[in-house]
Amino acid sequence: MQLRSELLSKLLAAAVAAALHLVATAQDGTVVYQGARILPGGKPAIEQGVLIVSGGKILAVGGPATKIPDGAKVVDVAGRTITPGLIDASFAGAIGDEDANEQSSEVTPHLRAFDSIDLQRDAVRNARAAGVTTVHAMPGTSNVIGGLGCVVKTRDTKDGPTLLADEVSLRITMGSDPSRGNRAIRGGRVDSMYYRRPTTRMGVVWEVRKAFYDAKEALERTAAAGPQGGDAATEVLTKVLQGKLVAYTTARSEQDIRTALRLAEEFGYKTVLDEAQDAHVAIDEIAAAKVTVLLGAPSAENVVGRGGGDGSQPRFHTVALLAQRNVPFVVTTGTNAAALDLVREAMFAVRFGLTAEQALDAVTIRPAQLLGIDQRVGSLAAGKDADFVVWSHDPLDPAAVAESVHIDGISVLASR
Amino acid sequence: MSARIPMNRNLLTVAVAAALAVPAASQDVVAVKAGKILTISGPTLENGVILIQNGRIAKVAKASEVEIPWTAKVVDASDKVVMPTWVLAHSQSGNRGMTENMQNVPWLSVADAIDPSSAFFEEALRNGVGTIHVLPGNQTLLGGQGLIVRPYGRTIEDMAVGGNTGVKMSLLSSGGGRLQQIRRMRRAIEDVREYVADFDRRKAEFDKEKAAGAIAKDKEWTEEFDRTKKPAIALVQKKAKGWLFVPSAAEIDEAMRLGQELDLVYLLGANIDEGVAALAKLGVPVVLDDTLEYTEKDAETNVETRHCPAKQLADAGVPFAISLATSGPGSYPWWQLGTLVRNGVDRQKALESLTVVPAQLLGLQDQVGSIAEGKLGNLQVLSGDPLLATSWVETVLLEGQVVYERSSDPRLQLLLAPPAKAAETPSEKASEKTSEKTSEKPPAGTVPAGQAKPNESSNQKTEGK
Repeated sequence: MQLRSELLSKLLAAAVAAALHLVATAQDGTVVYQGARILPGGKPAIEQGVLIVSGGKILAVGGPATKIPDGAKVVDVAGRTITPGLIDASFAGAIGDEDANEQSSEVTPHLRAFDSIDLQRDAVRNARAAGVTTVHAMPGTSNVIGGLGCVVKTRDTKDGPTLLADEVSLRITMGSDPSRGNRAIRGGRVDSMYYRRPTTRMGVVWEVRKAFYDAKEALERTAAAGPQGGDAATEVLTKVLQGKLVAYTTARSEQDIRTALRLAEEFGYKTVLDEAQDAHVAIDEIAAAKVTVLLGAPSAENVVGRGGGDGSQPRFHTVALLAQRNVPFVVTTGTNAAALDLVREAMFAVRFGLTAEQALDAVTIRPAQLLGIDQRVGSLAAGKDADFVVWSHDPLDPAAVAESVHIDGISVLASR
Repeated sequence: MSARIPMNRNLLTVAVAAALAVPAASQDVVAVKAGKILTISGPTLENGVILIQNGRIAKVAKASEVEIPWTAKVVDASDKVVMPTWVLAHSQSGNRGMTENMQNVPWLSVADAIDPSSAFFEEALRNGVGTIHVLPGNQTLLGGQGLIVRPYGRTIEDMAVGGNTGVKMSLLSSGGGRLQQIRRMRRAIEDVREYVADFDRRKAEFDKEKAAGAIAKDKEWTEEFDRTKKPAIALVQKKAKGWLFVPSAAEIDEAMRLGQELDLVYLLGANIDEGVAALAKLGVPVVLDDTLEYTEKDAETNVETRHCPAKQLADAGVPFAISLATSGPGSYPWWQLGTLVRNGVDRQKALESLTVVPAQLLGLQDQVGSIAEGKLGNLQVLSGDPLLATSWVETVLLEGQVVYERSSDPRLQLLLAPPAKAAETPSEKASEKTSEKTSEKPPAGTVPAGQAKPNESSNQKTEGK
């Protein structure tokens, strides 16, 4: 059935290309969502919009005049708001804590987050029920170089997670996360399993340097004498050095942000700044480096004195400042345990100065572009995956609920 | 002192004078011009005016029907929403060390623990809260007496709205489990009753002996109740209220049994969904925890169920007040009310849960919680609807005095205004351009000069230090 409808959609796509009017013929399984306000992502809102879905793909998005195919099932969603399925560009909930941080080494660039992903986790179901249809999952932050991130849809299928992009990112972590808890055992053996480095920020940075020096040398050897057949870890790091893979450096405090930028410049690799809570302090450097910032949980509380992680000093205005300075940014939930549903984080971003459109883009089309999956998801347009959310009304109203969530055209909303 | 919101000099003088003598109240007439007035208890008024005289609301009417005296101090909120300040029926914040390690200490009072310079009060004012019932923590069997305060003033006397409100009680186990705590509570109450019975018996004996001539005629009974026992005696004699914390649905039966003997207000914990039916039969207003929605997972089937006790109570017709969290989104009234509406609670009921219902529970229904003639001039001016994330509290008036203005809230300005360093960078012409674009929705603290009252803004800056 699934296969047949996919075939059908391929045929339909061909038909769209050939003659648009052919689309408006009766198609089995075509569903029309009519009357809602559609926020397509990256484009202005459509009032009284029409969204046509078939075979897991979007057939058409348009205003009230959009031609409705004969025989299609029409769902009246007047008064509702439809957005693309939300994309969380840094989602920690798909991997259990025990599976996020490999302890055998502090530098594990070749490990794949995909191998730890479990879409049956409560956090995934809750995110899905709150409109998140795609997530970027990375290994945890306890290793200096944690491993490779992947992008999956939040709906589990019988064939496992739908992989939109594998090995899209290499997580590097600055600050205290990789050194927390590490102790050199006094008087003990240095080869004890409890003896783990690094124990300071100095040590963290050194581990990054060492790893990239080795990779650089390997590259130079390859250039001089042909392929050397290096190990898996070095292979990943050389890809980063060659610009074939983007580093996602988690750097919360001002100090860590500057270090992350310095390291990227030193080795000439491309990085995204993850959870840059102190971006407001280093805004000039960030703007000059032309990096993208992942802003984890803009709702993070400051007023009554609760600080950010790693000694950072989050400010409510950071998100607005990034927009003002034209720094590309994405709103995520990240590793912040107090993070709210992604849509509520977007809502807080609006409270702190973004426009509604900027905030919704920051959780839909912007992360899709960043992760290179915008051909399939992140906005509502003909030919893209039918991942969308029907909200009770404006999703940026605290009283709004996701009435239905669709991934590949399939309704996935758990009981609420 | 430095943590306080700066007050302008006039207010400061009035506040000091108030602490010395009469209750703080502006002697002048204050006129609040409002784009919209949410009265809560009555209809919503577009383009209204509220006149406040001697700290109380003297008139609420359409702008066309009110003549504003020329001497009146005008608060211009003609493009904003004006509503009563929020009322918190139960708060454990704003204090230093208010939870006693000893379990049975009803004679203590939060008046001795409240810290007027606590950031909690500053934050409360910033959120439009005007009345707070501060009670001892939930961890103590008989924890002491509460106090109703306003989040403004430099001393407790200045902040206090009323006297002791009754005794905080808790069924939260302090060790040994639920039944142990129930036993302790019964024992504590029984001890007080026995003490009173013994006192009465001895007094009766005295009277009897005196009548019989065994005691000299000029000798009077001088013994009084032990001072440390008085609050608990008032409680068992139903002369004072008990504010009983009920941690979960499992304690509701016991709470209701206690309620038959004592005058209780139930302060409910988060996990209360299964007790709503019992509460519904009782029909008295209750106070809900700040966790307004939660999920419960069935241990065997792994099926999660979402609960919102407020919605259940609303459906059952039980009035309820809600609480605010000490940090996080739950500390924002708009978030809490939005959560209620998101779960299907009627908007009006949601608004009442932070206004008229807590006011009634505190016995202040004639003073606060709604905008009506004769009530205190406790108002908040909001930039938009109180249930929206985009709305900010612009001004707070307590008893007719402007006690908070967002345009002179240094902490909020620090958090919301772009840092001076970035603004000074001359090379960033682009940023100026974009800031023009967003100028219709300025960040906090950059309220156009026209909106700030001219004669106050200069004072406030000097007073801030």
